[in-house]
Amino acid sequence: QAQDLPLANGKEYIIGDINVTGTVSYNEQTVIAFTGLKKGEKIYIPGDRISKVLKKLWDLGLFSDINIYVTSIEGDTANLELEIQEVPALADVKIQGVKKKQQEELIKENKLTPGAKVTENLLTTTKNYIENNYREDGYLNTKVYINAVPAEDTTGANLMNLVVNIDKGERVKIEDIEFEGNEALSNGFLKRQMKKTKEQNFFRFWKRSKFIPEDYETDKENILDAYKERGYRDARIVSDTLIKRDEDDVALRLKLEEGNQYYFGNINFVGNSVYSDAELQRTLGISKGDVYNGVLLEKQIADETKPDANDLTNKYQNTGYLFSNINPVEVKVYNDTIDFEIRIREGKVAYFNDISVVGNDKTKDHVIYREIRTKPGNKYSKEDVVRTVRELGQLGFFDAENLKPDFKNVDPNSGTLDLEYSVVEAGASQIELQGGYGGGGFVGTLGLSFNNFSLAGLFDKEAYKPLPMGDGQTLSLRAQASTYYQTYSLSFSEPWWGGVKPRRLSLSLQHTEQYFYDYRNRKADKDRKFSISGITLGLAKRLTVPDDFFVLSHAVAFQHYNLSNYNTGLFTFGDGYSNNLSYTVGLTRDNTFTNPIFPMGGSKFEILAKFTPPYSLFNDVDYANLDKEREFQLENEDGVLTQGAYNSAGQLVPTRPLRAGEEPIGDPAKIDQEKYKWLEFYKIKFNGTWYENLFAKLVMRAHAEYGFLGAYNNDRGIPPFERFYLGGDGMGTYSLDGREAIAMRGYPNQSLVPVNRGSMSRASDNDGATIYNKYSLELRYPITLKPTASIYALTFVEAGASYDGFRNFNPFEVNRSAGAGLRIFMPAFGLLGIDFGYGFDPVPGETKKNGWETHFIIGQQF
Amino acid sequence: CSQYQKVLKSSDTAVKYSTAEKLYNEAKAGEGNTKKKFRKALRLFEQIMPEYRGKPQGQRLSFLYADTYYELGDHYLAGYQFERFTETYPQSEKLEEAAFKGAKSYYNLSPRYDLDQTETHKAIEKLQAFINRFPESERLDEANELITELRVKLERKAYEIAKQYHHTLNYKAAITAFNNFILEYPGSPFREMAFYYKFDSAYQYAINSYAYAMPERLTAARSYYEDYKRYYPQGEFTAEAEAAFSDIEEKQQNL
Repeated sequence: QAQDLPLANGKEYIIGDINVTGTVSYNEQTVIAFTGLKKGEKIYIPGDRISKVLKKLWDLGLFSDINIYVTSIEGDTANLELEIQEVPALADVKIQGVKKKQQEELIKENKLTPGAKVTENLLTTTKNYIENNYREDGYLNTKVYINAVPAEDTTGANLMNLVVNIDKGERVKIEDIEFEGNEALSNGFLKRQMKKTKEQNFFRFWKRSKFIPEDYETDKENILDAYKERGYRDARIVSDTLIKRDEDDVALRLKLEEGNQYYFGNINFVGNSVYSDAELQRTLGISKGDVYNGVLLEKQIADETKPDANDLTNKYQNTGYLFSNINPVEVKVYNDTIDFEIRIREGKVAYFNDISVVGNDKTKDHVIYREIRTKPGNKYSKEDVVRTVRELGQLGFFDAENLKPDFKNVDPNSGTLDLEYSVVEAGASQIELQGGYGGGGFVGTLGLSFNNFSLAGLFDKEAYKPLPMGDGQTLSLRAQASTYYQTYSLSFSEPWWGGVKPRRLSLSLQHTEQYFYDYRNRKADKDRKFSISGITLGLAKRLTVPDDFFVLSHAVAFQHYNLSNYNTGLFTFGDGYSNNLSYTVGLTRDNTFTNPIFPMGGSKFEILAKFTPPYSLFNDVDYANLDKEREFQLENEDGVLTQGAYNSAGQLVPTRPLRAGEEPIGDPAKIDQEKYKWLEFYKIKFNGTWYENLFAKLVMRAHAEYGFLGAYNNDRGIPPFERFYLGGDGMGTYSLDGREAIAMRGYPNQSLVPVNRGSMSRASDNDGATIYNKYSLELRYPITLKPTASIYALTFVEAGASYDGFRNFNPFEVNRSAGAGLRIFMPAFGLLGIDFGYGFDPVPGETKKNGWETHFIIGQQF
Repeated sequence: CSQYQKVLKSSDTAVKYSTAEKLYNEAKAGEGNTKKKFRKALRLFEQIMPEYRGKPQGQRLSFLYADTYYELGDHYLAGYQFERFTETYPQSEKLEEAAFKGAKSYYNLSPRYDLDQTETHKAIEKLQAFINRFPESERLDEANELITELRVKLERKAYEIAKQYHHTLNYKAAITAFNNFILEYPGSPFREMAFYYKFDSAYQYAINSYAYAMPERLTAARSYYEDYKRYYPQGEFTAEAEAAFSDIEEKQQNL
């Protein structure tokens, strides 16, 4: 029980009766119960309790007047009267003069819902809101009248109807803008500096002429800035007049005084002890004799628009001088020259003390702290803070736009500061569930991908909310099945294996089974099948030398192919097997930032080499002369050597027994089985992508890639596996042979086979290429980058081609294309997109140019 | 349709009130499917709450409403509703229980140590406020126990973060973080480990540095060793600490 306190010379009384007067719609008991006052209770009059009751009632906002009276005092009993005046409630609102949709918006914005209390304040704010709203849109003469009329109500409640009359008037346009007194800069140039205040012009349809007072003020500043950038330090607007031509047209007349053009004189640094004058001068980049440019000077000292700019302030801020202060001062002006003194107060070096993270409701501390570059005891560095924010955003667990560092307990005396990173968790899991009709039957896909998984949580009952999360691991499961094939895959990765250094361990398992599909009766023949099982183990490590954007990765993969009575076209044999054991090493450098969905800058390079063991070096098999050996020669079912002929499926089948004197011929099926028992090849790939922010949010992406597949032993040859297939959306349609689908828009999927393949060459159109190159240039512009959905538009030009072997390689003989598209990223669905590409060149084998292609994109291909 | 459905759809608030209270009491006494009964009661409470607001029954109803959330494990709403109850009915005889359950709801919301601890801080604050307001309460011991548990959780968080700096070989950061930990949590069960790992961080930092920086860092490590020995002469890590210390002595002599 809170104790009551007397105010002034308050006396203690016992409450007698409490009467409620003046009320209309509330029950007397309700009001009394709400005050909390009880008959028989002891209170002070005047006292703290009474004032609290009054305040509590006022806070409700339901009453326009509240009074508590003592009606009579009998001994130490006080009878009270509580007089309240209710604020009328809104019954209905009618808005006149604007369209229905705007009416609804105004009602919503001003909360003019039935039941709202009609106070003076509500009327005034509504009126102001509407007037400002239309003024900002160029309706300068907007007038708003609000009538409040008591409403008839059968229940006797205190209600009001509101009628809001809006007279928007005409949108005010600027007929012309006149300048006076400008010599150095032309009228047209000055008009262009006015970004929002534009003259009426029939041809400029993307920006309408509007007169908005606030924008006009900024535009006047823009004009002066334009002068300042060109040495006219004293330029000013002497007067500006708004002339009303008629109801909806105005003219602007600006009178300028340009003053003289100035030049930089001596620039001296004062107070610097950490950096020499010469070092600071280099960063400043302004020298004596340059045209005076106040804007540039400001920017070189502290560029507010770029947190990682190379300016003087950052030079100090990045090396611990949090408390440094840099001030340019004009020390002398003579003729047209200005001498500057740049006064620097370096202050104490600051050190980080406590580093903390808040807002991580799912992601565990260790996952976040290991990514933070600002460590306790380290020198303060703005660059480290900026980079930490960038890298936490790239994790994908948090909303990148809502990450922010808060400086706390900044203490210039001890030279320490605390830093608190506040994060907002974002959904990091994706579910893919698809069903569709394709490839001759129903195809169903179920994919689950958990991007912030916790393997340790699997055995912890508490951790299931609904799934163990927060250790920053990735787990994805995928199953796809149709009438004639099934594929299952599982992959797991832990980005900090061991927790000491960033070392990504990944494991993936995959199994695919494909049955022979008879197109005539639309049945899958389960006895004729082809299966692939594979396992891949990888380890990737972030390097510190040459810089820590480098990642070195290793992977060991094994795949086993098994065929039973199944001719794939890949192999010349229908029964048999093949193994692929390979080791891949890759070096990547990635410093793209900030948003992984829409990088604004940086570059990404990757060089990758994949090898199998060179079996042929030591297994003593003479692959060139396999057909000379008895066991690889063509024979019939009785084991008699025969002649052969190709059947319609392209297989060499035995015909008649050899006659005397005839040379035995090799059986390609047996030879290939021997060749491909263990696949033997090496593969080298290079990938480079550059992002450049051109202006505003327009980003250019330049990309180049090359790939080469070779054999150690030319007699054994390059296997038909692991080849490159150029063209189309680049999505890996179920690939049995480790093929790499390389995207190339403007052409059908996997259509760009090497051009030199004639009818005589051994390779068919189904075989992939062993060399390819591809270049592309893309311009991207974001429509929205909200965490719920990021959308951007793009246009591209691309060129690429594939070749059979180095002899045919010609990096300039390429297929070209251009087009445009759109991407949408939603955390639950991943990246979706559509591109329209025009192929300027014919697909190999055709004669006329390919023309338009539409590509649907799922996942990040480009 | 069932009796309950009829009550749910009826317009008689009194029947709803009595049915809801009956369900609540049965569930409270552990009869039948308690969770289901609480849920049923809650639906009725939700319907009639606005009608009883400001009426004498409102007080009892508000308490039951909050308590139902509490029993159902919806601690966010339970905490909020109990808080509203204590503000609206400061004279209630259930005040103490409501204040305690409100505070305990926040305790229940406190997540594991390595997530954001905003709720933990709030819970400590609420429990402390309860202790200050009801120093005679029979729930005092439990409240104190809960506070201790939450404090240890915060200590563990700070300790594990410092330990991670040690684990990720950021020894300088570890020294600062352990120092802050020792200053901030004087009575912590992790204190000995903090002292030991502060020493070990300094030792590792020293022996992995360039020759010119080593003497100074060895001296610092030595003083941390002495700190550890002074506070924990028979400590758990004595053997490891002594081994490292003799290495320091040897290095210092050879320099």
